[in-house]
Amino acid sequence: MLTAIREVQIPLIAALLLGGCTTKLLRTLRTGAVDQGLGPVALFPMRVRQPMAIVICVVECGLGVGLILTVGYGRGAPANYIRLGAGLLFLVATSALIELRATRPDVGCGCFGDFSTAPVSGRTLARSALLAVASLSTLGLHVARPGDNSGISAGELLIIMAAELIVLGALSPELGEGLIHLGYSEPCELRDVPADRTLAALRRGKHWRRHSGVIISDTPTDVWRELCWRYVVFPASYQGRSTEVVFAVFLQQRRPAVHAALVDAATGEPLPWPSAPPPSGRLGWRPRRPALWLPGGWDSTVRAVGAQPDLPFSREL
Amino acid sequence: MPGGEAAQGCCDRCARAQVPERVGVTAGAGSPGTAAASRRRLLKAAVFPPREDPRSIPGGHPHPPGRPEPDGPHPAPEPPGSGFADAAQLPRAVSGTILDVSPQVLVVGSGSDEQRFTLTPDAAAWRGALLEPAALRQGDHVVVRLHPSSRQTADRIWANIGRVTGIITERRGSTLTVAEGATLAPRVITIQPRAVGRIQVRFPTLEPGYLVDIIGLRRDGVLDGMIPATSQPAYPANRLPAPSLVSGHVPDRISGSATWHEPGDEPPGVLGVCYPALDPEAGCAEDLVTGRAHGYARMPYLAIGSVLRVRNECTNLDCLLPVTGCAPVARLFNDRCVTCGTSPRGRIADLTMASFVALGGELDRGCFNATITIGE
Repeated sequence: MLTAIREVQIPLIAALLLGGCTTKLLRTLRTGAVDQGLGPVALFPMRVRQPMAIVICVVECGLGVGLILTVGYGRGAPANYIRLGAGLLFLVATSALIELRATRPDVGCGCFGDFSTAPVSGRTLARSALLAVASLSTLGLHVARPGDNSGISAGELLIIMAAELIVLGALSPELGEGLIHLGYSEPCELRDVPADRTLAALRRGKHWRRHSGVIISDTPTDVWRELCWRYVVFPASYQGRSTEVVFAVFLQQRRPAVHAALVDAATGEPLPWPSAPPPSGRLGWRPRRPALWLPGGWDSTVRAVGAQPDLPFSREL
Repeated sequence: MPGGEAAQGCCDRCARAQVPERVGVTAGAGSPGTAAASRRRLLKAAVFPPREDPRSIPGGHPHPPGRPEPDGPHPAPEPPGSGFADAAQLPRAVSGTILDVSPQVLVVGSGSDEQRFTLTPDAAAWRGALLEPAALRQGDHVVVRLHPSSRQTADRIWANIGRVTGIITERRGSTLTVAEGATLAPRVITIQPRAVGRIQVRFPTLEPGYLVDIIGLRRDGVLDGMIPATSQPAYPANRLPAPSLVSGHVPDRISGSATWHEPGDEPPGVLGVCYPALDPEAGCAEDLVTGRAHGYARMPYLAIGSVLRVRNECTNLDCLLPVTGCAPVARLFNDRCVTCGTSPRGRIADLTMASFVALGGELDRGCFNATITIGE
């Protein structure tokens, strides 16, 4: 079993090294600077940051390729040198991350380029230390070639590899970023919703038909958004008094919830709604069969859904 | 000697109520966003009036603001004007020009007003470096934080302090031209020779297109750069990484870094906050300088007039502040504030100088660890 665990380390470490090198290169291509945001490089004087960043990237790539090429030569000097190098790299990285955490707590480890922007945490340190141990454990290991009778089944290797991947995943802050992408639904607080769409949804709704009789202009005097709601204010006139109708529209695509209030234009104080909708409004209110038809017709429908005329506001879905 | 209770926010209760004309004035009075803040808050309260709810927690709300309740969508209700400074409250920060200074007394003038402050042995001043208050000079423009226990005592004084945060547009030797916004005039920073090393450690790429944030001494419209306010992001402003995705509900409280900015066109002493995620539909003119509607990290959309409770985690002071502007450059940073521990995320609020000082922030440190609560 111990031999199987050791065998699994080599492809895992090689993949991680090559992955780290690739993401750093991608970051370099994107930012145009090789030494930007590469974690422990921030510990070096400015003039050596760029050479150090290049050296780290080349070393990672070289060790990753070397681990794969020498996988069948476990007792030979080249394989052991490569594995020792990988172990030393992770040891040095662990030490550097400890120092980075102490001196520059705002800097990410940069291990996987853009994915590693979160400040260095205990998990990052534990992962680096674990990889150092894993690398050093492969010294002198002879990996069985296909067909050799090593006594280790492919199933065992897969189970061990899966278990180690789970451990590494738990120690990787970068993984959370990837998981969020799966099944992602943007919260309404962050969703970009054009104001035109909100206005169109409002005008399609029954609140608009019900209150448009008092609205004197279809151009809102103020529109603003707060979290999941967009507020729209229209000038209105009620019993010769200058008023405003304030709509709050929930930001969702289909059948958004709408709340409305009638306020005094000067003071902003809530006013009671007219006791019944006007027969015809300036903006074209037309009575029509409501979507929810109850015995008693329109008025009973209004009562059923809660538009109480004696209240200064309505709360309807 | 100072006496009385310590203030727990941006303002102190003024027992004598010396400003009766300011009836109805709120925090941020006189600022461009004040009228909108008050009006919108009033209209919002008309749609969602305050209500009694046994599930309410002191100072909080029974439901997450802006999200559907079990019986229908309903944002957190809020009484209009609650929590703002009223006519009997005065900000804990004062700005003006030094008319006279002695080891015991500081006289600050602002327009035709003149205010005298007692200087205790504990009072400290800053003008490029820490110094004795008596070493300040007549004519210095100062921001004074009043002692928590007395409005007649100066606690901390910053003289001629300035800050430039923006995108470098031009570099000539040690002089940088920086764009802070499309509607703002370009700012010029001259990096002092003795500060070059210190600044370049934090800002290694002082080239056009990169972000810069430097604190220094304001002199004839030019900032003598002395202190790096943060660390430079690795990316140029036009290559901002895609923002991280946010899953589930956005938390009501967001912790991060609160910074400050110079007044610009704002009236001096205004209490307010520039928020880095105004609704794109609101058309923040300053977006033009970056050309980006989203910042490094996503934050819930708000508008001018929205109200935030800003809490300084380092001093435990908090107060309600209206959103008075957008912060298009602040949202480009992905820095952390390390004033007291490491903030879990970057810039969440860009405060006016008065707000920053009144909440216990040290202007020369550039930031404090903060938590904002939306929807109170």
